[in-house]
Amino acid sequence: MTPLDKTVSGQKVRIVDIAGGEAVRRRLFALGFQPGDMIESGSRGIWGGPVVLRNLRTGVSVAVGRGIARKILVASGHE
Amino acid sequence: MSDPRNPVVLFIGQPNCGKSTLFNAIAGHKVQTANFPGSTVQHSHSRVTIAGRIVDIIDLPGTYSLNPSDPAEKVALSHLFQEKPDVLINVVDASLLGRSLELTLELLEMEVPTVVALNMLDLAERKGISTDPGKLQAALGVPVVPTIAAHGRGIKELVEAALAVLDAPARPPRLRWSRAVEEKIAELADRLPEDLSVVANKRFTAVRMIESGPTFCVDFLREIHPGLRDTLDEIRTKLEAGRGLPAYEVMAAERHHRSMKIFEETSTVRRRARRPWSERLDDVLMHPVLGYVVLFGVFLAFFFVIFKAGAPLEGVFLKPFESARSALGARLGQSLWGYLADGLLQGIGGGIAIVLPYFIPLLVMMALLEDAGYLARAGFLLDTFMHRLGLHGKSVSPFVLGFGCNVPAIAATRILESRRDRILTSLLIPFIPCSARTTIILALVGFYLGPIWALSFYVANLVLIAGLSRVLSLFFPSDSPGLLLEIPALKIPTPKSIAYKVYFQLKAFVRLAWPLLIGGSIVLSALQYFRWDKALNVVLGPLVAGLLGLPRELGVTLVFGFLRKELSLVMMLQALGTSFQDLGRMITREQMIVFTVFVSLFIPCLSTLAMLWKESGRKVALLSAGLSVAVAIALSVLVRMIV
Repeated sequence: MTPLDKTVSGQKVRIVDIAGGEAVRRRLFALGFQPGDMIESGSRGIWGGPVVLRNLRTGVSVAVGRGIARKILVASGHE
Repeated sequence: MSDPRNPVVLFIGQPNCGKSTLFNAIAGHKVQTANFPGSTVQHSHSRVTIAGRIVDIIDLPGTYSLNPSDPAEKVALSHLFQEKPDVLINVVDASLLGRSLELTLELLEMEVPTVVALNMLDLAERKGISTDPGKLQAALGVPVVPTIAAHGRGIKELVEAALAVLDAPARPPRLRWSRAVEEKIAELADRLPEDLSVVANKRFTAVRMIESGPTFCVDFLREIHPGLRDTLDEIRTKLEAGRGLPAYEVMAAERHHRSMKIFEETSTVRRRARRPWSERLDDVLMHPVLGYVVLFGVFLAFFFVIFKAGAPLEGVFLKPFESARSALGARLGQSLWGYLADGLLQGIGGGIAIVLPYFIPLLVMMALLEDAGYLARAGFLLDTFMHRLGLHGKSVSPFVLGFGCNVPAIAATRILESRRDRILTSLLIPFIPCSARTTIILALVGFYLGPIWALSFYVANLVLIAGLSRVLSLFFPSDSPGLLLEIPALKIPTPKSIAYKVYFQLKAFVRLAWPLLIGGSIVLSALQYFRWDKALNVVLGPLVAGLLGLPRELGVTLVFGFLRKELSLVMMLQALGTSFQDLGRMITREQMIVFTVFVSLFIPCLSTLAMLWKESGRKVALLSAGLSVAVAIALSVLVRMIV
């Protein structure tokens, strides 16, 4: 299990857990990201900027700040 | 007896699903759209006659779910629950169907007759997604109408479907949860006190209560029904015990998987040989190096297009007004009528020749950036810098809107989740050079001193905002978890949508701002005729002449600048008794710069101040006014000493 910010751009991973507080978890759920979802780790901003993640099932892309990205724990692809 | 209340049709959907575009197509062109999550932050009402019947249609801000997390979403929910709609039109983005259906499933539980508009089919097609509307209709149990709002397709069918549902209201079927969850919902619904006023129905209320976060409403409910609190806690605990997850997560996960399942059963996703152009373009736009190059290029292009289009037009349009003024002056002389007619001409000419040449290109550029979806990319790119200023990337969109007009920009802060971010952003927005101030900067500094000066002015203004943000954020400790922003797919802006947007803003300018310009000019003429302006100028003398080193006559124009910023410029010519071409002889370059600095910053205009007051309260409005006066005086004096 690795935090999302340690993945490389283009890597396809599965969300295992979201270790953030309730507000962050709820917001990510509302945007359509939940544990179990396959995502693609995308572009990242320079200088500790945000990370883009794309849900491979729904096609939704969101940018999350590095602080949140550290709390999204992912594992390599297959279940 | 007929029902005196008109049927209410309510549009609801997730942010950026094309809801406002669809609403506009039906209501006439009243709502602004953008390709940024959360562009509609206020609801809008419209009364329309469709097929001979009067219907009230309401557009709500987009909401991801029925558990709100920012004020724009709260607006959506309070209206959804209060308006008692007869029909819901749930707009879903076909290109993000799996996610969009989560809200649909929540809405269906209200058991209000619903029509689903399966929108943005063209975008879905580009992504290789094709959904069978018939299958979706069968899965949801409510009518599904395919639409492409941006091209006006499916609108007629959607209206017909909504009317059909109005005539024969059908309660959407109940989609059951898994047994364990369904039992808990039923148990809570049964145990709700009889005197509790429920929203929609008991089952829906029970679901909302189990899922709700720590909101005021639930706390209040718990206060007045202590028994209910225990019941709710007991049911939540049971749910949590079953899955080992907090109750709201049990519900969210189940809904998530159900909508994915419906999506996969009703749609096919073709693997594309090549990724769509929009994704490939995003590789550049969001690239760690190229992205910033493009961003900088966009900023420069934004500035130069407005200047290059505006400056020649300004020159061309000014001439006829100047000759009309001198002709008029020769005829009417120094009579009161002569003064008033001159004021009228100054006001009209100022609007046409000084404001519109810069205003229209600015509106077009803003509309292009918004509709293409570039603001979200800018938010992504600038997040890291915004962090260092005590904010984050989500504030970028309100800031950029501020370059058009500060008023909607302050309203747009409603998309920010934390109150602290909203206040800080709202305090900074009045320092952004809006179209009115851009006009002053370009028409005065750009026209006389050259575009490089104007550009430097712009850049210095941005540096000032950054510095202020830095300082202000020291007083407001950050409580925000950071950026969490949806990046919508890039779209090609349609000329129709750009034209509507520009038209909408121009209409507002012609209706509200221009009369103010004309009225202000006439009032100044009258003041000059009766020589009352002298009194005002004497009072303001120490500030205007003493501190700022400007001609004393400009005192009165600064007062009027509080109404509209451009007014100061238009009236400046009048106060100095000169034409635009001869301005250079009346005041020096240094004075032009000091004047521009002071007028740009000295106080938020009346409308901005009113909006600040409404959105964030009196304290913030007064703080903003005080802050800007202090900054304006300090900077003007500083500039005066340097140049």
